[in-house]
Amino acid sequence: MRMIARRLGLYALTAWVAITVNFILPRLMPGNPIQTLIGKLQGQVTPNEINAIKLSFGDVKGGFISDYVTYIGQLFHGNLGVSITLGAPVSSILRETVPWTVGLIGISTIISFCVGTFAGAMLGWMRGSRLDTLIPTATFFQAIPYFFLGTVMLLIFGSHLGWFPVLGAYSSNVTPGWNWAFVASVVRYGELPVISIVLSSIAGWMLGMRNMMITMIGEDFVLMAVAKGLPRRKVIVHAARNAVLPSIANLSLAIGLVVSGALLVELVFNYPGVGDLLLQAVLNEDYPLIQGIFLVITLTVLCANLIADVVYLALDPRTRTEAAV
Amino acid sequence: MTDPLHVRDEREARDSAATNTVDRPTSSEFVLEVRDFSVDYGVGSSMVRAVSDVSLNLRRSSVLGVAGESGSGKSTLVYAMTRLLRAPGVISAGNVMLNVTDDHGNALAPVDLVRANEKELRAVRWSHVSIVLQSALSALNPVLRIGKEFDEVLKTHRPEMNKTQRRERAETLLTMVGLDATRLDRYPHELSGGQRQRIMIALALALDPELVIMDEPTTALDVVTQREIINQLYELRTRFGFAMIFITHDLSLLVELADEIVVMYAGQIVERASALELYEAPRHPYTLGLLNSFPPLHGARRELTGIPGSPPDLADLPAGCNFASRCPYVMERCHQEEPRLTALEEGGRSVSCWLQVSGASASVPVELARTPRVKRAHPTSEEAVS
Repeated sequence: MRMIARRLGLYALTAWVAITVNFILPRLMPGNPIQTLIGKLQGQVTPNEINAIKLSFGDVKGGFISDYVTYIGQLFHGNLGVSITLGAPVSSILRETVPWTVGLIGISTIISFCVGTFAGAMLGWMRGSRLDTLIPTATFFQAIPYFFLGTVMLLIFGSHLGWFPVLGAYSSNVTPGWNWAFVASVVRYGELPVISIVLSSIAGWMLGMRNMMITMIGEDFVLMAVAKGLPRRKVIVHAARNAVLPSIANLSLAIGLVVSGALLVELVFNYPGVGDLLLQAVLNEDYPLIQGIFLVITLTVLCANLIADVVYLALDPRTRTEAAV
Repeated sequence: MTDPLHVRDEREARDSAATNTVDRPTSSEFVLEVRDFSVDYGVGSSMVRAVSDVSLNLRRSSVLGVAGESGSGKSTLVYAMTRLLRAPGVISAGNVMLNVTDDHGNALAPVDLVRANEKELRAVRWSHVSIVLQSALSALNPVLRIGKEFDEVLKTHRPEMNKTQRRERAETLLTMVGLDATRLDRYPHELSGGQRQRIMIALALALDPELVIMDEPTTALDVVTQREIINQLYELRTRFGFAMIFITHDLSLLVELADEIVVMYAGQIVERASALELYEAPRHPYTLGLLNSFPPLHGARRELTGIPGSPPDLADLPAGCNFASRCPYVMERCHQEEPRLTALEEGGRSVSCWLQVSGASASVPVELARTPRVKRAHPTSEEAVS
């Protein structure tokens, strides 16, 4: 328990540092959002209007420290400011987009991890068999640039063969909400993006697990499992249980990238997620929105790491001894 | 499906349909009978014969020591015999009969380990033959509690036991090797080397097997712990009467524990004798060399000499005796003819050396012609279990 508490403290510290950097970074950049906005209005503003804009963006001359305190205070109230280009509160924009990205990429990552790890364990156990041809196949799909793979799949299976609906996250003739038609439509529209992501990322999980599995098979405890007369399935579990540990560490990294890694997927499939939003925000120099997205990304990475830490603690007792230090 | 952990014997496929058992209803006095057993690494041109034509019998409840340098084939022999040898090891000849009994000591049909299929092997493993490996740290699954290792074995082989009974059995076993039952809730890395090895021994005895294989169980331990473990093993053997094959390169250790010792060199048995006879009156120059490489656990200090040179390349064995190039007593004949393991006239022991062949031209060196004292350090196996 002490161990977990210590970790939580560490994460709180990291989160604070990330939030602070998030606060400082835009202030170190040349130009400022208000100037950008005024510039966009092409001089057709009166000084009064400029003042009004400044006020609405909270640009009150308060100095660095008081700005910072205000910023932190606003954060705790869930207030991330107002988007310059979209004119809506950043928090409500994120509330609409983040679930799409987390759902799509998160589910894809988990499917890819589970299928890849299972296949890797089998490939490792039966190394040298004909199943080994799966490896170059999977590596091929990972080697193709995602943009290309996604587009080709969209063209072939979406437009040409018409097996999957294309463009968007759900059909235009269902009403968003917790109703069956909507959920079914979301799943249906998600199929092709999910398949393409899994296809392009599965090789890593598979190869990692296979190689660890081969290492583990050489270990004495696997020989012991055989010597004990355990059924083959249990022997494989003995090896896989240990081989999966490095993959778990990698999974935490992959989950951390869920929010930020979605850009290409969302562009190809015109999916309404954070990746697309970030691109727009950067292009329009929409600082409040950029900051808000960065904050979400940071917090996702931290949460993913925390979860991975806890899972790792649960799976590998050797990491628990650190608590005694 | 290719299973990397099981030796693919070429005969396996051919014989798997045939019956694996031989009609012999009475319980043999031997728990294990090995005939003309050979093991190769690899096949075809890259093949290396790691164990060559080994035959041996292991009496019930007796301790057989297998001694030799690294690479002498001692571990390969024992792992192949129990079908635990990993690829590319292949059993190329011979057979291994395991004469198993049920819990009440009634003979069951003997199992031919070389031809047994996976299912038959599983039935024999651990309940009749268990193994203790050199490094208990790597032999215990690092992510499992000690109790789980016991539970798993009991659950697999004693399905009639419930959870509480399994836990009780595990506690009894741990107490038996002098450990606190609370150790069951620990992970391997939380225990000392000696404790882990005791756990391995307790685990090996979990199902009351007839044969326990010890692959250098004390090599990784300090001498004091080594001493304790050996005493413990001796006591347990006396109490439960299981037979043991004890692999080590430390001959002086074997003398204390073993009833009979075989000395292996370059994949062959070069000498076989009762432990004390071998210790006091070695007949093979290699045995003598091994004895001079280790300090005795008891008795007067003596100079440690070791054996000059290194073992021969198994892929390129010399003509004649494999040990000739390192032998201080080498003769003309040793380079030409390969000696065979031959029973000696004094009885009860055999050696593979031209020096010991009756009518050999050269006289036997005095070191290899000692007369053993009759007294034994330990009672023989027959006395121990009566």
